Amino acid sequence: MTPNTLLWPILLPAIVAVIAFLIPTRVKWFREAICLGASAALIYLAFALFAVKNLEFRLPWMGQGIGFELRLFHFSAFILVGLAGFLFLITLYSTVKMSGHPRIREYYAYVFLTAALANGAVLADNFVPFVFFWEGLLVTLYGLITLGRKEANRTAVKAFIINGLCDFCMILGIGILWAQTGTLTISQISVKPEGLAVVAFLMMMIGAIGKAGAMPFHTWIPDAAIDAPVTFMAFMPAAFEKLLGIYLLARITLDLFKLEKGSGLSLVLMIIGAATIVLAVMMALIQKDFKRLLSYHAVSQVGYMILGIGTAVPIGIVGGLFHMINHAMYKCGLFLSAGSVEYRTGTTELKKLGGLAKVMPFTAAGFTVCALAISGVWPLNGFVSKEMIFHGAIESGYVIFAIAAWVGAIFTFASFLKAGHSVFFGPRSEESPAAVKPIKESPAPIVIPILILALLCITFGVANKLPLTTFIQPILEGHVEAGESIDFTPHALSLFTPIAGISILCLLLAFGLHAFGWKKGGKKAYLASEPVHKFPVLHTIYDWAENRVFDLYEQGVIVLNGLAMVLFKGIDRPIDFVYEKIITKTGEAFAGVLSKAHTGHYANYLAWCLGGLVAIAALINALLK
Amino acid sequence: MIFLFIGLPLVVAAFMPLIGKVSKKVAPDVLANAVFLFLLVLAVTSGRQLIGQGPVLQSLSWLGEPLAIQIAVDGFSLFMLMAISLVTFCIGLYSINYMTHYGSKANFYALLLMMVAGMNGLVLVTDLFQLYIFLEVAAVASYALVAFGLEHDELEAAFKYLMLSVVASAAILIAIGLLFGLTGSLGFAAVGDALRGLDAKLAVGFCAALFIMGFGLKAALVPFHAWLPDAHPSAPAPISAVLSGLLIKVSGVYALARIFYNVFGLEAGGALSQALMILGAISIVVAAFLAIRQSDMKRMLAYSSISQVGYVVLGIGIGTPLGVAGGLLHLFNHALAKGLLFLNSGAIQQSTGTRNLDEMGGLAKRMPVTAATSLVGSLSIAGVPPLGGFWSKLLIIMALVQAGHGVLAVVAVLASVVTLWYYLIMQRKAFFGKLNEKWAAVKEAPFWMSAATVLLALLVIGSGIFFAAIIKSWIQPASESLAKGLQTALHGLGGF
Repeated sequence: MTPNTLLWPILLPAIVAVIAFLIPTRVKWFREAICLGASAALIYLAFALFAVKNLEFRLPWMGQGIGFELRLFHFSAFILVGLAGFLFLITLYSTVKMSGHPRIREYYAYVFLTAALANGAVLADNFVPFVFFWEGLLVTLYGLITLGRKEANRTAVKAFIINGLCDFCMILGIGILWAQTGTLTISQISVKPEGLAVVAFLMMMIGAIGKAGAMPFHTWIPDAAIDAPVTFMAFMPAAFEKLLGIYLLARITLDLFKLEKGSGLSLVLMIIGAATIVLAVMMALIQKDFKRLLSYHAVSQVGYMILGIGTAVPIGIVGGLFHMINHAMYKCGLFLSAGSVEYRTGTTELKKLGGLAKVMPFTAAGFTVCALAISGVWPLNGFVSKEMIFHGAIESGYVIFAIAAWVGAIFTFASFLKAGHSVFFGPRSEESPAAVKPIKESPAPIVIPILILALLCITFGVANKLPLTTFIQPILEGHVEAGESIDFTPHALSLFTPIAGISILCLLLAFGLHAFGWKKGGKKAYLASEPVHKFPVLHTIYDWAENRVFDLYEQGVIVLNGLAMVLFKGIDRPIDFVYEKIITKTGEAFAGVLSKAHTGHYANYLAWCLGGLVAIAALINALLK
Repeated sequence: MIFLFIGLPLVVAAFMPLIGKVSKKVAPDVLANAVFLFLLVLAVTSGRQLIGQGPVLQSLSWLGEPLAIQIAVDGFSLFMLMAISLVTFCIGLYSINYMTHYGSKANFYALLLMMVAGMNGLVLVTDLFQLYIFLEVAAVASYALVAFGLEHDELEAAFKYLMLSVVASAAILIAIGLLFGLTGSLGFAAVGDALRGLDAKLAVGFCAALFIMGFGLKAALVPFHAWLPDAHPSAPAPISAVLSGLLIKVSGVYALARIFYNVFGLEAGGALSQALMILGAISIVVAAFLAIRQSDMKRMLAYSSISQVGYVVLGIGIGTPLGVAGGLLHLFNHALAKGLLFLNSGAIQQSTGTRNLDEMGGLAKRMPVTAATSLVGSLSIAGVPPLGGFWSKLLIIMALVQAGHGVLAVVAVLASVVTLWYYLIMQRKAFFGKLNEKWAAVKEAPFWMSAATVLLALLVIGSGIFFAAIIKSWIQPASESLAKGLQTALHGLGGF
């Protein structure tokens, strides 16, 4: 394989994007066929590149160290495989779910452009092309959200601004890093996080976790869950953005800066991770909409990854990265099953659904597997990666973070019990559209991606040795002390350790919590979280959260609006008054005087002319002297 | 060959009434437009090569005997010839439709051709008295054209115009007589040479004052402007366009610049320069404010013409190469844009029967071509980039700053804001907003009228985009021949 091959993961989807955009809306299956074929080809390409592992493409560009440099190595090859896989599944799913969308041309164009940019960002080995690809994602993100409901534009702007802010921080960090190291080639950079480099680290970290959707940069995701198309949710926040954000975070902590175990920066990451886990899952628990509930989990789960990587302990990092790919699989599966429900019933409100397992067995099965996986039930993949993160948190020396992670596990399982119970099991709601018309299982292109993802969740759990040794563990090669083992597979599924015991206890607690809430709520599953919701102090906090008090974006908008109001009333209006009233009135008065002088009398005009002659003669006379 | 610019329109004008007896519409249309097209092609294609080696002097001869009639082409004359032929060509096209119901077409074309002959002659002559003759030729034709509608207002306006113009002519004639008395000759170069040898500063200053009054009246500089807002709106729209776009510049600005630069030898910062700049600045400001109050569309345009001629005089009056170039470029841009706007007002008047802005409203919906082209013209005169007017005003303002006239530069900038103000009033009242129900059945102007306005609008846009090329190929030769003076070059040819 020549280095030029590295251009294909970028060029192929970009070309497909253009083609998909050019095909007229009326043409039905042709666009879908091309997209599906191209994404399948991308999977093949990604695996082929994964087999090659090491490839570099360097093209001098603008000088000053700015070059178009691409580098394929184990980590980026692994992310390429993941991106291509999700792209294929989403495309397959979209062939049915998005068909008939009035802006279908744009949809496929944005999706494949996203794939091209994401591949480019992953492969880039120079910060300039990296920033180009990374910022390009902002545009497609905006475009994809606007494809949703009419109200989606506001959310699109919100997502754009929040992500833009994070990206701005990242560029700032890159700038500092450049000044410190004097190079823009990513693979040549390796600095100790000291002095100004700490600022660079924090700035770039904001860029990475902002892309992944960690708190407090998450607030657009729950809004998008309602406003944007569900395929977008499964595509970007669930899969692509997690892979990209965590990829960048891992690169920062492993390669660019050497994050030390127990250092202050490690602590910062772990605090962000733990806070994200707990706060987001508490919000997820009380949600009354299926998609919104899932979106808060998409935020919460990022916390585990950040916590795992932040521990700076090999097992924690492996756990965090494994959790990244696991999460992408089951969260994608969960969003897709929510989309499947929405496709048949037209709603995702929990109280309007119920008992769908009988009529939509495959969707229900896929959902169940993915839900159990995200909750960390043995022997699914979520169990393996979470256990590793728990281990890592304990090894880092801060037990408190492990406790936070366990608290997160309790509420994660509780909220999925509630969701599953309300949507697929339990009695059918009277408000359910199912009561009106018979509901069937969704068509194959919708069900197959869900089932594939569910199967992968099982495989990655039961046969965890395979993905861990092929994909994850080699990433750490060269990053651990010589002689230290990086094989963590032996005790991955072991049930008889204290940590696994606590995890299982958490799940039991969650089950009890759900059962208690269900009974309290009059055996209505969607009310099962009400005891927590109504808990004395929590209740107030929840109310604030629902009113977006903690949403930095919304608060920022309020502050800016206030500032704009003050400026408008205090400065703009007075200036405007001068223009609007004083100047125009003076001008009109002046014009009025002049107009009055124009009486239309010939004698007057003649007198002016002669007066003018005298004046000019006098003037020239004076000037000549 | 140069005589064709004068002779051809004059001869065709003479035959036109006779042709009108035979064919009322078609033949006059075709013939007049053919003449305009021919003159345009002649000015654009042949003129440049003709003066490639410097100014060209030709004497008229009769049966082999040379007559004392000499005409000359230099960069400035050629630039004016080009501007005249360009605008009259568009106006000729416009008149095909517009003049159909407006009296005798043949007579109209005859008068128009006579005016063109007068203007062309004016920019080609080489002595003061010939200049006076052609000034009168163009003026007499314009009196008749202002009165062409033969209604009460038109006759009154024409009479007022005539009476004030006569005063101007008298002042010019007195000045010419004084100069003849002082120097004993009439040729530009000869008078200029003789004046340099004389110590008659105050006498020359008085002549200059008389010229300023006379040509200032023709150019409608404040305070000699009062006839224009009556005369220009009264004429048929294409004639308004010629009067405002060309005549006031040819018989006013051109003559003034020619005499002041090539006879008196205007120096930057000298008395004449200062007098012109003050006059220009007063015109700009006063007329701009007068325009704001107008509710008659054509009157507003007329006041705008006074204001814009002020810019031209201000630019030329600075006396520096940049100032002259800016003034001439503005002359050209204003000729195109104001011609366009008067044609638009004619289209509206023909479709709706009114010139009152308050009665209009929302016409853009019914007359999209007129609305769009009028917007282009308005924005150009108001100096909005990238249209032509922006560049010429920019050059004038830059020249003012360069020559150290900061105050006047500020005045020029502020006045252009006022210009934008009244043009926006005009656009809003006439074209934007809700359609007045009265005009629900109004139709867009007929083909030739629309074609002429579109052509002018494209020229306005083009003159903005290619302003650098226009400056290089037309303006620079013109301002050079002003700066050098005609005399040196003509002496080289062994002239008079």
